[in-house]
Amino acid sequence: MTKVQITIDGQKIAAEAGSTVLEAAREAGLDIPTLCHHPALSNWGACRICLVEIERQRALQTACTFPVTEGMVVHTESEKVVAARKFVLQLLFSERNHYCMYCQMSGDCELQSLAYRYGLTEWPYPRPVEPLAVDATRQYFVMDHNRCILCRRCVRACAELVANHTLGVRERGIHSMITADLNVPMGESSCIQCGTCLQVCPTGALMDLKSAYRGRETQVERTRSTCVGCSIGCGIELVSRANHLVRIEGDWDAEVNKGLLCVVGRFEPLFDDRQRVTQPLVRRRGLLEPCEWDEALGLVAEKLSGDSLAALITTRATNETMTQFGRLFRSLGAEMAAVGSLAPAPGAEGRLTDLAEADVILVVGADLKKDHQVAGAFVRRAVDRGARLALVADADNGLASYATWHVGFDQMDSLVGMAAQASRPVVVCAADLPAEAEAALAPLAGKASFLGLSRGSNSRGAVAAGLPLSRGGEASARVLYILAEDDRLHIPRNGAGFVVAQASYVGPLTDMADVVLPAPIWAEQSGHVTNTEGRVQSVQAALTPPENVWPTVKVLKTLAGRLNLAL
Amino acid sequence: MTFEKILLRNVEIPNSEKIDVYLKRGGYQALRKALHEHTPDELVEMVKASGLRGRGGAGFPAGLKWSFMPKAADVTKYVCVNTDEGEPGTFKDRLLVERDPHSIIEGVAIAAYAVGAHRAFVYIRGEFFTGVKRWMKAIDDAYARGFLGANILGSGFDLDLSVHRGAGAYICGEETAMLESLEGKRGEPRLKPPYPAQVGLYARPTLVHNVETLACVPHIVLRGPEWFASIGTEDSTGPKIFCVSGDVNRPGNYELPLGTPLREIIYEHAGGIKEGRQLKAVIPGGASTPMLTAEHLDVPMAFETLHAIGTMLGTGGITVMDERVCIVSAALRLTRFFAHESCGKCTPCRVGTQRLVDTLQRIEDGRGQQGDIERLLSLCDGIAGHTFCPMGDAAVNPTLSSIKHFRHEYEVHIERHRCPMSS
Ligand SMILES: Cc1cc2nc3c(=O)[nH]c(=O)nc-3n(C[C@H](O)[C@H](O)[C@H](O)COP(=O)(O)O)c2cc1C
Ligand code: SF4
Ligand code: SF4
Ligand code: SF4
Ligand code: FES
Repeated sequence: MTKVQITIDGQKIAAEAGSTVLEAAREAGLDIPTLCHHPALSNWGACRICLVEIERQRALQTACTFPVTEGMVVHTESEKVVAARKFVLQLLFSERNHYCMYCQMSGDCELQSLAYRYGLTEWPYPRPVEPLAVDATRQYFVMDHNRCILCRRCVRACAELVANHTLGVRERGIHSMITADLNVPMGESSCIQCGTCLQVCPTGALMDLKSAYRGRETQVERTRSTCVGCSIGCGIELVSRANHLVRIEGDWDAEVNKGLLCVVGRFEPLFDDRQRVTQPLVRRRGLLEPCEWDEALGLVAEKLSGDSLAALITTRATNETMTQFGRLFRSLGAEMAAVGSLAPAPGAEGRLTDLAEADVILVVGADLKKDHQVAGAFVRRAVDRGARLALVADADNGLASYATWHVGFDQMDSLVGMAAQASRPVVVCAADLPAEAEAALAPLAGKASFLGLSRGSNSRGAVAAGLPLSRGGEASARVLYILAEDDRLHIPRNGAGFVVAQASYVGPLTDMADVVLPAPIWAEQSGHVTNTEGRVQSVQAALTPPENVWPTVKVLKTLAGRLNLAL
Repeated sequence: MTFEKILLRNVEIPNSEKIDVYLKRGGYQALRKALHEHTPDELVEMVKASGLRGRGGAGFPAGLKWSFMPKAADVTKYVCVNTDEGEPGTFKDRLLVERDPHSIIEGVAIAAYAVGAHRAFVYIRGEFFTGVKRWMKAIDDAYARGFLGANILGSGFDLDLSVHRGAGAYICGEETAMLESLEGKRGEPRLKPPYPAQVGLYARPTLVHNVETLACVPHIVLRGPEWFASIGTEDSTGPKIFCVSGDVNRPGNYELPLGTPLREIIYEHAGGIKEGRQLKAVIPGGASTPMLTAEHLDVPMAFETLHAIGTMLGTGGITVMDERVCIVSAALRLTRFFAHESCGKCTPCRVGTQRLVDTLQRIEDGRGQQGDIERLLSLCDGIAGHTFCPMGDAAVNPTLSSIKHFRHEYEVHIERHRCPMSS
């Protein structure tokens, strides 16, 4: 990579040619303030807070957009620069309501922190009088226009990262307002509540209903982990305080999703209001009653050693759990299954990143607006870039409006033929396709890269652990052991005489179980999961489980011990 | 001494917008000459040699801009005709479009041939209802007679031209905002560089010109760059349409050589101030340009001479204010325009112009406070040079220049808590 020599604030820096002054400064550890800029978004250059003085330039220039050139000399905190920045801050504070003490972002707000940095102690311009609307029509997060500084990070995130194009600006000048679609309430718009806008907003304008007022950055802990909402396995950061999950954010550095998340990964876990199972339970006279681990495990061990046995496991479980589960029930001769399925891949297996290069994307049977939504964003981004989407799916498919071609399974052959002509075709397949559809893809083997979207977050991990996949309804045995953890599995009893549920929450499974063993939820255990591309990723515990809840693997090992199995 | 009309030579002839009238007046001969007798490079050189500078406000040398367009033949290139004419006090492009549209089409075709573009777009201000119709009719007729379309005049050169109507925003006259709007997006300026000549419409190299600039081109081709350069001053060559409005006896468009003194334009051509009153202030080049006073009346109306006294030729829109005008209310009125038209993209313009309006309004209403003049000046200081596009620099000019020349009048407003001009 070619370097150019520049000087910033007297410091000699070898900057990468083509980078901006801001990037070069940050690389060298110098802190030029920004507001509209975000590293994951296109350079915008509009808030004007990053103005710097560059020798031999007539006017101050925005560091976030100005490219470095050989010999450039930059001053980032000269008198002129500081005056210009203060002015921008004064204007922003005069524009809308920034009474920080009432704002949920106070302490973490980028605008507020700049006001401290540049010593804003007064409002030199008249205070705003007119309160603006607060749009709380979305389920999970709120738009408070009173705190918005119109930096448009949200607009760019929605367009460039999510490719959903919901957000925009209406009116102009001082009347400019962030808006959804053709000015409808956010909750009635095309918004998919992925929350990417929320994650990039520098102020309190976009606020998360769950995390608002629940802890500043200095009061929370962050844990890097992997989402087990689906088999994409997005990188996440779990933000927690006092053993409570406050918020989930997309991990900008994660290779799979590069910061993106969907509503399933970002919000749904925080709104899980099911009742926890906090201790072992045994059914007596039809009612579940608390008991000690010792008693519960004794009872279970006894049942496991006798009768015909079926054992089912959630595909939200980690690879470590899968392995332990396999060992135990294999040696007991149980009929085993993990509840999930793989998608067909009749050719070379691709990666999600292939979508960024594809010229034709053939999506077969998947609705990427409902499931695997982050893959949906990647497909839309590809379409924005000029790739064409060929959809083999039901008429109401969520990506229908992005598709160049859209047919049912009966006419799939024409699109397969077309994809075969493309130069970089990528096939995205859902799991559980009709057999004919699978067969119809054969001509693309060797031509396309295949991205199968397995059902169940860790179906690939299950297969690697030697567990067969199933829909979960087929097992029929005298004794049924269901390792559900926090999954919402629907498994019929099928005439089993004894049912064990290892579960985190009270629900249909515990209702039918004879013994319930409390299980941690995904955020309480560490381990690994294998995503739909075959990537092994790490899951980190961010929370400590309730006192009497044992790690899943420990329970399995203890059971093995009781049964005198050397595993 | 009367100046031979060049750009406005047709406008007073009945039916001047019709192609037959245009042809009878010698129209499209320049295009024929350009296509058959000149190479594209020669034309670029001719426009360079003519000294023609843009008439849309910035005065950038046209030939230089043409030469910035990439030469490669396999690159799609575009030409865009800026017919947005939103600058207050400016009404020349409208006249040309309504009364002599073929002269512009001829200029577009020559420019497109010179830079190797085969597709051109007219971006026209939405409120120009007659202009839109005239543009479309003229384009249809030019196609029918073979001046547009495939193989123009048997030269092998193809050009398509169509009209796009704006939706009523001043900022869409700024070339990159115009390109955004043409692409169907919200009209807001783009980051520069890259300039449109490198990355323009649909990310292709694009030549953007004002109507009046393009209307000069056929004459340069027909009568030669030396002839063109002989008109006007050394750095400001050729004819210019001055739009005179305000408190004069004969407001209107006057075509004169660049360098004509301001006094001559106001007092001879526009018939002087109404009822013999005194001139108080004059805006020389559209609302964006700093105002002058009676002491500047001898300035030659040329790019360099106006620059030297701290203002600009701009569009050549001259607005005359006589002694009855309250300068604070004039500044308020002008600044309100800019605040209203701010696109809202960058902070200093979006919020700063509104704070200017707030303060000017308060002074005009008799609620001014000590320190308000300094507040205005510091607002101007904070906005100018710090905005995303040149609009911020323009927006402070009414305030800055009026304080510079009439500070006393502001002080009187503040001290007496009322406007001294309103009885
Ligand atoms: C705020 C703003 C408004 C403008 N409005 C117009 C306009 O209405 N018409 C125009 O020709 N140029 C306008 N311009 C200038 C254009 O950006 C551009 O410089 C011009 O069209 C180039 O043509 P020229 O070289 O022929 O002058 C405007 C510039 C700014 C900054
Ligand atoms: S909502 Fe947040 S991200 Fe969007 S423009 Fe306002 S301040 Fe910026
Ligand atoms: S949540 Fe996602 S889809 Fe909805 S507006 Fe924000 S970025 Fe766009
Ligand atoms: S796409 Fe899947 S892994 Fe990614 S955030 Fe959504 S649910 Fe989680
Ligand atoms: S951060 Fe550079 S202009 Fe906003």
